[in-house]
Amino acid sequence: MADFYNSDSEPTTRTLLRRVLDTADSRTPRRLRSAGAGAQRALLETPSSRRLNSGTKTTAKQHSHGARSIGRLAHFQVSGNLEEQTPRTLLKNILLTAPESSILMPETVVKPVPALQVVQPSRKESSRGSLELQLPEFEPPTTLAAGLPAPSRKKQRLRLSVFQQEVDQGLPHSQEHPGNADASSLTSSLNLSFATPLQPQSVKRPGLARRPPLRRAVDVGALLQDLRDDSLASAPSGDSLKTPIATLPTDTVLEDTQPFSQPLVGCSPSVHHFLPHPFPTGTEDAERAMGHGTQSSGPGLQNHKIIEAEDSQGTVEAEEPEGSSEDENTSDRPAELAASTPEFLQAKQLHPIPETAPPPGVAVLSSETLEPASARLPRKPRTAGSRPRQDSYKAGLNHYIKLFSFYAKMPMERKAFEMVEKCLDKYFQQLCNDLEVFAAHAGRKTVRPEDLELLMRRQGLITDQVSLYVLVERHLPLEYRQLLIPCAFSGNSVFPAL
Amino acid sequence: MFVEGKEALNPAQKRLKAAVHYTVGRLCEEVALDKEMQFSKQTIAAISELTFRQCENFAKDLEMFARHAKRSTINTEDVKLLARRSNSLLKYITEKSDEIAQCNLERKARKKKKSEDGNKSSRETAEAEAVDSED
Repeated sequence: MADFYNSDSEPTTRTLLRRVLDTADSRTPRRLRSAGAGAQRALLETPSSRRLNSGTKTTAKQHSHGARSIGRLAHFQVSGNLEEQTPRTLLKNILLTAPESSILMPETVVKPVPALQVVQPSRKESSRGSLELQLPEFEPPTTLAAGLPAPSRKKQRLRLSVFQQEVDQGLPHSQEHPGNADASSLTSSLNLSFATPLQPQSVKRPGLARRPPLRRAVDVGALLQDLRDDSLASAPSGDSLKTPIATLPTDTVLEDTQPFSQPLVGCSPSVHHFLPHPFPTGTEDAERAMGHGTQSSGPGLQNHKIIEAEDSQGTVEAEEPEGSSEDENTSDRPAELAASTPEFLQAKQLHPIPETAPPPGVAVLSSETLEPASARLPRKPRTAGSRPRQDSYKAGLNHYIKLFSFYAKMPMERKAFEMVEKCLDKYFQQLCNDLEVFAAHAGRKTVRPEDLELLMRRQGLITDQVSLYVLVERHLPLEYRQLLIPCAFSGNSVFPAL
Repeated sequence: MFVEGKEALNPAQKRLKAAVHYTVGRLCEEVALDKEMQFSKQTIAAISELTFRQCENFAKDLEMFARHAKRSTINTEDVKLLARRSNSLLKYITEKSDEIAQCNLERKARKKKKSEDGNKSSRETAEAEAVDSED
């Protein structure tokens, strides 16, 4: 796909660049990079065809941040003063390498670049050789291919064709919206320095657009949901539990900010009991949810961990649904927390719902719900209400299974799903068992953060080198981190108030 | 690969490891005679290495459990917590611990009845504690 662009743009670009190189610029380049940038800028403005523009942009793109510099140095003359070897060498390298990587950025690169220093090293990189340029070219396709979801090769080919279309569209787009580059172009240029800039974005968007929010939604949400359902199931009011759960999604999906108006009868009394527990409790639970991934008997949980680790940007949805389903803490916590769990239940199928609830509240809610859920287990016999627990519990497991299949990148048999579900089931049951036993071992009836920490230590997640706080910092998004680790914010109160 | 790890230990640990290896060898011999199947040397070495490392893990876990219960002494409860994974093992250990506790009680009662002397009772309690700590 680069070829057809190259065929059109390359000669022109080459010609222009040659022209630039040959012309002796009268203006003395105050800055080394500006000369080169100016040349590129001239190239940008001279060609009238869009292809040319794209080609130049490509070349500019190749300079990673060079494109940014182009806009800024637009008014500078073409770098006739090519005495500096760097720009000329760079330009020559561009000529050499332009055909190979002609993939264009969708956003126009014509932006004033504040950091010329960035341009300089990037140019130097390009000057080092075409090899470097080639390598990154190969990488993105493979990474992209790897990043694509499980679909078969055929789908991957389709995606590439889609990508081609998008590339075509991207060119005109970039022409039309010169001013849109901004951060996007900067970031994209940063990411795609010498490689195919357009490809990753266009390919990523259709394939994975809806995935990240889903992934976020599952991790803690599902776990909390499961635990909560466990506790709910064990609660005497099994039926009443079912109805709130069923109604939650519909109610809370649209009403993000509305407090969880249907506190679960069985849960509320026990829940309030645990309200005083500070965030660290929740943290432990949240951490535990993440800790699961590393040591799960089922691979799905492992993928979970990967997901958690990868998704540094937390979609609060996941937490929010959890919080709302857990609800119990609505009285104390902000109302928005309520929205979480039912949203989470639906989040699996729905698109990410814009969450209005503040993440900290959600995290607190989710964490607190986790603790009361697990704490109530030792008290109540598990025999009662196993069926109502089963449905929502399985719903939560299903989400994990979907994650697992997503990361497997290949189609999975139904039996495999069943096995994964079995493993997850056993894993979580064992987990709750352990927590219960740990609490009892310390002569308590409540699961406390220390129990969770002990569990994670046994799992090998927490060692003498790695403490819980380290894990929190590593894997939780910023909003939750703020909750769990007291940070002093200028002008704000410190959370959590221990 | 089968002889690894001994170099990093101090002499006491090396002796301990050798003792474990010897014991494992004897046990494997018995099993071999019983099942009429031979054990290769590497197998025995692997088992003994495994046992040794697992004992290290056990010790750390026991310490963690004791600390979790805010105690400075490892208790039978800690050991039971450690063995809860395997049901049969847990049952066995529970039975054993009950036996031992019962023995201790009996011994205590007997000896207290026999001697009203403070010295003797203190000695017995010390023995009982020692026995308990052995559990």
